Amino acid sequence: MSKLIVRTINLSKVYRRGKVSIPALNNVNLQISAGEIVGIMGPSGSGKTTLLNLIGGLDKPTSGRIFVDGLDITALGEGELADYRLRKVGFVFQFYNLIPTLTALENVEIPLALAGVPKSERRERALNLLRMVGLEARAEHKPDELSGGEQQRVAIARALANNPSIVLADEPTGDLDSKSALALMNLIKDLNRRNGQTFIIVTHDPIVAERCTKIYNIRDGRIETA
Amino acid sequence: MFAWSLAIRNLRRRRLRTALTASGIVVGISMMFILLSLVSGMEAQTRSMIRALGGADITVSNSTSFRGGMGGGGPFGALPSPSTLDASIAEVISGIPGVYAVSPQFSFSGSISGRRITIYGIEPASYEIVTGGLNIVEGRFLAENSNGEIIVGNALMEFLNLTLGQTVSLSAGQGGKERTFNIIGVFETGMVFQEYAAYITLADAQDITGEYGVVTQILVKCEDPSIVSDVASLILSTVPGVRVTTPTAVIQQASQTLNTLTMFFATIGLVALFAGSFGVVNTMIMSVTERTREIGVLKAIGAKNHQIMKVFLAESLLIGLIGGGVGVAAGGILAYLFPMLTSGLFSVGASPFGMRNAGLSGRAISNIRLATPAITPTNIAICFSLGALVGILAGLYPAWRASRMKPVEALRHV
Ligand SMILES: Nc1ncnc2c1ncn2[C@@H]1O[C@H](COP(=O)(O)OP(=O)(O)OP(=O)(O)O)[C@@H](O)[C@H]1O
Ligand SMILES: [Mg+2]
Repeated sequence: MSKLIVRTINLSKVYRRGKVSIPALNNVNLQISAGEIVGIMGPSGSGKTTLLNLIGGLDKPTSGRIFVDGLDITALGEGELADYRLRKVGFVFQFYNLIPTLTALENVEIPLALAGVPKSERRERALNLLRMVGLEARAEHKPDELSGGEQQRVAIARALANNPSIVLADEPTGDLDSKSALALMNLIKDLNRRNGQTFIIVTHDPIVAERCTKIYNIRDGRIETA
Repeated sequence: MFAWSLAIRNLRRRRLRTALTASGIVVGISMMFILLSLVSGMEAQTRSMIRALGGADITVSNSTSFRGGMGGGGPFGALPSPSTLDASIAEVISGIPGVYAVSPQFSFSGSISGRRITIYGIEPASYEIVTGGLNIVEGRFLAENSNGEIIVGNALMEFLNLTLGQTVSLSAGQGGKERTFNIIGVFETGMVFQEYAAYITLADAQDITGEYGVVTQILVKCEDPSIVSDVASLILSTVPGVRVTTPTAVIQQASQTLNTLTMFFATIGLVALFAGSFGVVNTMIMSVTERTREIGVLKAIGAKNHQIMKVFLAESLLIGLIGGGVGVAAGGILAYLFPMLTSGLFSVGASPFGMRNAGLSGRAISNIRLATPAITPTNIAICFSLGALVGILAGLYPAWRASRMKPVEALRHV
C-alpha cells in the first residue's frame, strides 16, 4: 500500500446558528492513500461538502485533526492556510466558478500569479495545462463562450496549475450531461495515472462512482465504509 | 499582476457605473484645479508686480511721508512729492553692515506738457547696481553725463503722443524751474500705472526743484536676500527719522494673503471631493457584494487577504485616476476659458497689500485684474494625485471588507 496523503483524526464540525447547534461531522477518522481517486457519497445534508472544505483548508474543524502529506493543517494560521490551498490543494466546484471577466487562459494563470510565477512562464504553463485538458484552442475564450463541460475542464486545469498533491471536487459532474460527465471522469483518470495526483470527489453520480478507486459513504456526519 | 487585469475588466464591464462614479470625483478635482490655477495666477501676478516695483531690497525714506498737495490730472494721478532726507544719509547707510550698495533717488511730482506725473531723479550707475535697472525697450538708459536727458514710460509716451528723440518741457511746479529735456529712452514695466513716470539724473532733479543736497529715497541692496529684514531694522535703529519699506515684507504679506485664499479654496474643493468619494465607496461596496462568490473562489484557490485587497484597491484607484485625469482636463479647459467668462469682473477693489511705495497709487493698482488662472505642472500633479488618493481612501473600507470574507461563506453566496 502506498503512503497516506490525508488522515483525519476524530474530526468533528458543529455549525452554530444562534442557539441552535447543527452537527455536520461527527468523529470522522479517514485515511486516504496517495494516488487514489476517492468518491464520497451520501444523502443530502450528510456532511460531504463540510468534510471537503475542512480537508481543503477552507474552514476550521470544531475538534479533531487533519494531516495532509504529514502536515497538521488544523494548526495553521489564516495566511498559512491560504498558502496551503495555493500549493497543496486544487478545488473543482459544481458550478465551475471561473472568473467571468477573464479568459480561459487567464483563469488558469491566476493560481500561478498568486504563487508569484513570472508573467512569461505563467502563460507558457497555463497553455500547457489547457493543452492537457484538450482546450488549447479555447484559450482566449471567456467562460460564457464555453460549454459546461469545457468550463469544468478549464476549472480542472486551474486546480492543477500549481501541481497540488490533492484535488478536491464537489459534485464536479452535477451540472453536466452524461457525455460530458464521462469525458471529465476519463480526463481525471488519465491525469491521475500520469501525474499520480489524489482526487477526492463528492458525488451522487454513478458515472463518477464507477470510476473511483475507493468509495466512502457518509451518513449523518459519520463515515460508513463501503 | 492579475489584480490589475481583474480591476480593469470589471470597470469595463460596468462602463456606465464607472463613468458615473468617476464623474463624482471629476467635479471635485476640476473645481480644485480651477481654484488652484486661480491662486497660482494671482501669485504669478503678485510676483511680477513686486518685481516691477523695483528691485531694491530696502527703500529708505523720511518717516513723515509727504509734503505739498495731492497730485492730480491724467488717468493716473501722480503721488504728492515725498518728504526729503539729507543726501549724506546715503553714506551712513552704505556703512551699515550687510549693505551691499545704495542709490539715492529724488522723486517729485512734476509735469510734462501739462500732465502731472512722477519724476524720478536717479544716479544711473548705482541705480543699476541696486535695482537691476529699467527695462529699456527703445533708445538707451541714462548715463552719468545725461544732463537734460529723460527716459519716459511707454504708456506715457503713447498717452502724450511722444517720440524718441523729441524734446519735452518739464516743470517742477511751485518754487521750481521749467527746463527742456531730450527723450533718449523708453521703458516698460508691464504695469501701466508705473509707466506714467519719467527718469532723469539726480542732479537734474535737484536742479529743477531747487532742492540741492537732499533726496526722497535711498534704495538699498543687501549682501544677501536672507538678511534684508535684519539690515532694515539696523537702518531704523541707526538712522533717526527714517522709514523703511522692504518688498520682501510685501511679498510675505502677499503670500500670506494667498495662503489664506488657497486654504479657503482648497477647503471648498475638498468638500466637493469628499462628497464624490462617497460615490466611490458606494460603488466599491456594490462591486464587492456582487463579486462575493468570486472572492470566495479566489480565496479557495489560495489568494491571501492582502491580494484580495489589492484587487479592489486597484479598482478604486483606477476610478480615482480616471476621475483625476478627466477632472484635471475639464478644470484646465474651464481655467483657460475663465478670463473670457469673467472679463470685467474680478478686479480687485483696493490695493490688497497696502503698499505705499513711491510710484504706486491706490487708484492705479485697483485697475489691475488679478484673476488670470495659471495652469502649472505642480497643480496638475497635485490634482491628479489627489484623485488617486481619493480613489485609494474610498476603496480601503470596501477592499478590507472583501479581504475579511470567510471563504466558505463567500462560496455559498449566489
Ligand atoms: N454554514 C452553515 N451553517 C449552518 N449549518 C450548515 C452550514 N453549512 C452546512 N450546514 C449544515 O451542515 C450539514 C452538512 O452540510 P453539508 O453541506 O456538508 O452537506 P452535504 O453532504 O454537502 O449536502 P449536499 O449533498 O446537499 O450538498 C447540513 O445539515 C447543513 O444544513
Ligand atoms: Mg454539498
